[in-house]
Amino acid sequence: MQENYTHDAVEPQVLREWQEEFEAAAKRPLEQRLRYAFIHTYKPVLDDAPFRAFDTTEQYRRWCEANLPDWLGYGRV
Amino acid sequence: MAAFDYRQAQEIRDAFKTHQVKYLFIGKSGAILLGFPDTTQDADLFVEKSQSNCERVVPALHDLGFQVTEQQAEEIRRGKDFVQLKNGPFDLDLVFAPDGIEKFEDAWKRHVEVEGFPVCDIDDIVLSKQATNRQKDRESLPRLLSFRDWLKKQKS
Repeated sequence: MQENYTHDAVEPQVLREWQEEFEAAAKRPLEQRLRYAFIHTYKPVLDDAPFRAFDTTEQYRRWCEANLPDWLGYGRV
Repeated sequence: MAAFDYRQAQEIRDAFKTHQVKYLFIGKSGAILLGFPDTTQDADLFVEKSQSNCERVVPALHDLGFQVTEQQAEEIRRGKDFVQLKNGPFDLDLVFAPDGIEKFEDAWKRHVEVEGFPVCDIDDIVLSKQATNRQKDRESLPRLLSFRDWLKKQKS
């Protein structure tokens, strides 16, 4: 499974740009980094209940696959 | 609802400290605390799944402003693996058994503190994302792996 997630296939130019972004982010204070990092957009179904609890993480994953729109990306590969 | 911010992260840290809740930031929110420049929508906390810790979570959530009913509180106390809260000032996922990490104690031994925030080690965050194996993780993992490489170089 982990082989699917290697970044070896990423273009060197893209890797360089990422590294520059990491360098730049490291120079910003944490408060500023958090301000840029957290966004809130409505996620259909997922955001429609105030509370959900699952006995197991596997149950949660299955619930996501069965109930959430595919485009949200919560389905397993 | 406004997005999660630094002040709310501080409030989590302070409320959980007051109630002696043992937890770690995990997921992309954890990576962001470590310096990963990316975006996410909620905070994910890996909470130790012990009876006493689960009991202490409930008053901490009340302090943070979550409208947890007695029935919901009882579910948390009984010990669930995953609790999703959208009944408070920000969205919060309490993960008691994240994919890819066997024991909380192991993650605790490896954790790092960032300005007082307890955060999972980057390897644990990556392992968890890999094990979850979701489409959205697959898309973000190459960049996260690159960040891990960069972070390790800074430490060495």
